[in-house]
Amino acid sequence: MQTRKRLNDFIIFVSTLLLAVVFFFPIFFNLMSAFKSNAEIMKDAIAFPKSVYLESFKYLLTETEYPRAILNSLILTAVSIAFMILVIPMAGYAIERHNKRWTRFVFVFYLAGMMIPFQAYMIPLFKELKILGLYGNLAGPVMIYISGSVGFGCLLYTSFLKGIPREIEESAEIDGCSKYGIFWRIVFPLLGPCTATLVVLNGLGIWNDFLMPMLVLPSGHTKTMIVEIFYYVGEFSSRWDMIFAGTTMSIIPILIIFLSLQKYFVKGIATGAIKG
Amino acid sequence: MALPLTDNKKKKKKKWQTYAVLFILPSFLLYLLFVIVPTFSSLYLSFTSWDGVSSDIRFIGFNNFVEIWNSERVHNALKNTLFMAVVLVLLENIVALALAMLVDQVRWFRNLFRSVFYFPVLLSGIVMGFVWTIILNYNFGVINQLLDMIGLSSLKADWLGNPDFAMLSIILSTVWKSAGYYMIIYLAGLQGIPQELAEAANIDGANRWQQFLHITFPLLAGAMTVCIVLSMIGSLKIFDQIAVMTDGGPGFETETLTYIIYKVGFGELRQGFGTALAQVLFLLILIVTIIQVKFLRKREVQL
Repeated sequence: MQTRKRLNDFIIFVSTLLLAVVFFFPIFFNLMSAFKSNAEIMKDAIAFPKSVYLESFKYLLTETEYPRAILNSLILTAVSIAFMILVIPMAGYAIERHNKRWTRFVFVFYLAGMMIPFQAYMIPLFKELKILGLYGNLAGPVMIYISGSVGFGCLLYTSFLKGIPREIEESAEIDGCSKYGIFWRIVFPLLGPCTATLVVLNGLGIWNDFLMPMLVLPSGHTKTMIVEIFYYVGEFSSRWDMIFAGTTMSIIPILIIFLSLQKYFVKGIATGAIKG
Repeated sequence: MALPLTDNKKKKKKKWQTYAVLFILPSFLLYLLFVIVPTFSSLYLSFTSWDGVSSDIRFIGFNNFVEIWNSERVHNALKNTLFMAVVLVLLENIVALALAMLVDQVRWFRNLFRSVFYFPVLLSGIVMGFVWTIILNYNFGVINQLLDMIGLSSLKADWLGNPDFAMLSIILSTVWKSAGYYMIIYLAGLQGIPQELAEAANIDGANRWQQFLHITFPLLAGAMTVCIVLSMIGSLKIFDQIAVMTDGGPGFETETLTYIIYKVGFGELRQGFGTALAQVLFLLILIVTIIQVKFLRKREVQL
């Protein structure tokens, strides 16, 4: 019995390991190829780099608009997230604590938006940005990202707020604190885990987003990293080393953030799953 | 004494009302302006022959929808979309469930394995699409090189350029990218199954397969509903991989509904027709969601 159990554990371990190798390979392949010259990649795709070849990184960072694109992606992600935190928790708080017919209507109205796919309204949205003068301006996507996450965000915050007792807020009110003060000084700090989930999930989504930024930020100096990579695939179609260096630079931040904030990713999925 | 108190209370309530409006207003305005207005404009534009550039927006009634009904290209895109969705839902869920069971039972490095399977979920479709494009490349790709190495050169193929394999390649790379997400949901479901049930079944002499079939599988029904619906909606919306791997080709072999909306709207400047197609996509997703809500309701009754 004991040996059978041992054997069983071993078989499970080996199968998991094999699958893990298959799953990790494309990422490993990408990271590895970024340190090979183009000739090396073409000659033998699987071989390890002979020496650490950094020319592609150097070229991308000095001769192309890639640094600008990195900066654009960082700004777009950071600013969108900052405004999301400013706008969404507040709305979730009012919806949950001021439970009236009109707030319930607003909530359902927000949730309905979660069902509308971006492609269903992107054509008029594109035109609308042009009319508002936001085409080619980072402010446009910022507002689109906030509007797009209102439904999920309010769902996240209202369900979390249900678990926070009102007594603290009530006693603060008796002490003469305004609703505004109560929210930002007392309630908001308690919503930390929720905010972390919102930041992690939306931050990742914005960092990786392609279609919308490609449509509304097409010109050279506002392109985001992912859009730039997409154009490189066409432009440098035979310079894979360049593209691998570019993709590697977009993967590294994700890897670092994932390793340090793992639990929020998993928690976010659980919430997302409940929402269905 | 009672009068001033209620007065005070009323005032307080009034005040809360004002604050609530102020708290909700920013998100409401943004949502209205950037989701609701374009959604309704989209509905309106689907009855026009607008090209997206000129100010001349001509109302043409149901013509766009008649064209959708008759167009071979749209039929092909719909067929591709549904095929992709069905195969992806099946494969993603099978792979995710298998991964979840392995990670649940493996004795060593459990967290590491979970992270490895989950990590591709975090990458952009463009980045992973490019990596797979190179892996699948005919001349310099990893797959063909491996086939050469193990002496199966006859199986080498142009995985993205050959109409027989292009769709399959996109499907498999998408399974690789998203299985980890559903694995996490299944894993949570597996961890919710009481240990005693498996032990009791063991004592009763049930083998592994029987245990899976009669205990694990039925108890995972909830997680499975969620995963199937999420993977269905996700599959209907796939865009990035197609953009970078095949651009809808070869021919129209991998052109899906989301892709044709983009092509027609921004490539061919037929935005009226594009918005009409967008209504079809919206309808599809709506149907899936309604079916899901019905399912979940049913489950709630049972519980």
